[in-house]
Amino acid sequence: MFEGPVQRLIDELSRLPGIGRKSAQRLAFHLLNVEQADARRLAQAIMDMRDQVKTCARCFNVTGSEECSICRDLRRDPAMVCVVERAQDIVVVEKTQEFRGRYHVLGGALSPIGGVGPGQLHFAELRERIGNEGIEELIVATNPTVEGDATAMYVAREMKPLGVRVTRLASGLPVGGDLDYADELTLGRALVGRQEM
Amino acid sequence: MVGDRAQAAIVRGEVGHVHGTSLIEVEIPRSGRRRVRVNGQRPGRSTDLLGHVRGVVFLPDDLDIIKRGPVYRRRFLDGVAVQLWPGAYLDQQEHERALRQRNTLLRQSGGEIDQTTLAVWDERLSQAAGKLMVRRADAARALQVWIVETYERLATVATDIELHYTSNWGGSLEATAADEVAGVLAEALIRSRRADTERRLTTMGPHRDEPWFTVDGRDARTRASQGEQRTLALSLRLATHTAVHRATGESPLLLLDDVFSELDTDRADALAGMLPEAQTFVTTARQEEVPVHGRTFEVRSGSIQ
Ligand SMILES: [Zn+2]
Repeated sequence: MFEGPVQRLIDELSRLPGIGRKSAQRLAFHLLNVEQADARRLAQAIMDMRDQVKTCARCFNVTGSEECSICRDLRRDPAMVCVVERAQDIVVVEKTQEFRGRYHVLGGALSPIGGVGPGQLHFAELRERIGNEGIEELIVATNPTVEGDATAMYVAREMKPLGVRVTRLASGLPVGGDLDYADELTLGRALVGRQEM
Repeated sequence: MVGDRAQAAIVRGEVGHVHGTSLIEVEIPRSGRRRVRVNGQRPGRSTDLLGHVRGVVFLPDDLDIIKRGPVYRRRFLDGVAVQLWPGAYLDQQEHERALRQRNTLLRQSGGEIDQTTLAVWDERLSQAAGKLMVRRADAARALQVWIVETYERLATVATDIELHYTSNWGGSLEATAADEVAGVLAEALIRSRRADTERRLTTMGPHRDEPWFTVDGRDARTRASQGEQRTLALSLRLATHTAVHRATGESPLLLLDDVFSELDTDRADALAGMLPEAQTFVTTARQEEVPVHGRTFEVRSGSIQ
């Protein structure tokens, strides 16, 4: 146990994912020793992110403006949309450099246990986009979990009647793992070898 | 056992198998989760351990498998499947998860279920059930001859032991193709949709099936003698060992946890005579009851001597 403010920071840091007690201590003492300005910049960055971040009005990616940079990019193919559970999944797919379409963030996966039904996810907005944007193919890149699979099946059942092709990433993703951990080459291959649903 | 003044107990063991040896360490803290290390590294997931250690455990209440409800026999077959193919564990977990999701959906919606959502969980559950069912059937096929053989040797009379399977949706131990099984269950789920919605749970599927044995045509659960039931329970464990040994080329560890005290002398001797060649651990409260010989470790007031 340390004196008041130091301990308070350690407590806060150790609540972050992947940060244990020891790492939290190390980080706190590191911040105690850096320049005042550096510490202030970190604190400000956290505050700014919370105050200024918005979700893209089109795809629900995180952005600083009305629409995200991917949706604004005219070189992107609007006919192809990659459907993901969370905004951080976009980064993973982007790293493969195999995909030149746009995205749609559902905001999670179907899970009765977690209290998530279709009404809690951005399906209605996806339906609307299919009508408005000339989308021809949906590539579903939900996580390879039971919930992610069910969500993909839901997309297929609901969106195929609207006249779009629905495909799912081929195998090559770690089963039960997050898209986050898939290495780029494997994921790139899974994108190229996607399967019709 | 965690010592009085200790924070944690660590169990360490070296396991030899066809691919080499692994050092397995399990840390059991006073509170919180157990931690497992394989060769000093945390396995990616706890199930990775299944590929490193194989063991067949005899328990005093193995008789439950024969005498009690269908869940004990399902668990037995599914457990054998995991010994034979560690990946079966993932199939079982997936099935369990999909089933819990579907049941939760049925419970939540007060009669007002979104049909597409239900259809999606039907589909996902059927897929998982198909894989689970094929593993279960494969395990049964791998075991069957050995159960008959070991029973005969233990009982010293020719006996007709059969494994049957009762299912209300068309599940069977003949299953070989997961896709086909999934299709059969998917159709059954559509038929049972009304009943499931009313009862708010999944009334059909491998989680409700009953595997059962007969001894010379009599139901082992209700119409076999106590002696026949015990012999059958032992046969199941011995048959598991043989089947796993044959399939993997590795002789699983044997753990006999206080088993001999439950057996009469004849059966105890018969079992001792039939134990396969394997590293074997026997635990007992009374050493004179154990008809096998080996090194003895005594546990006295919390320490091993
Ligand atoms: Zn966007």
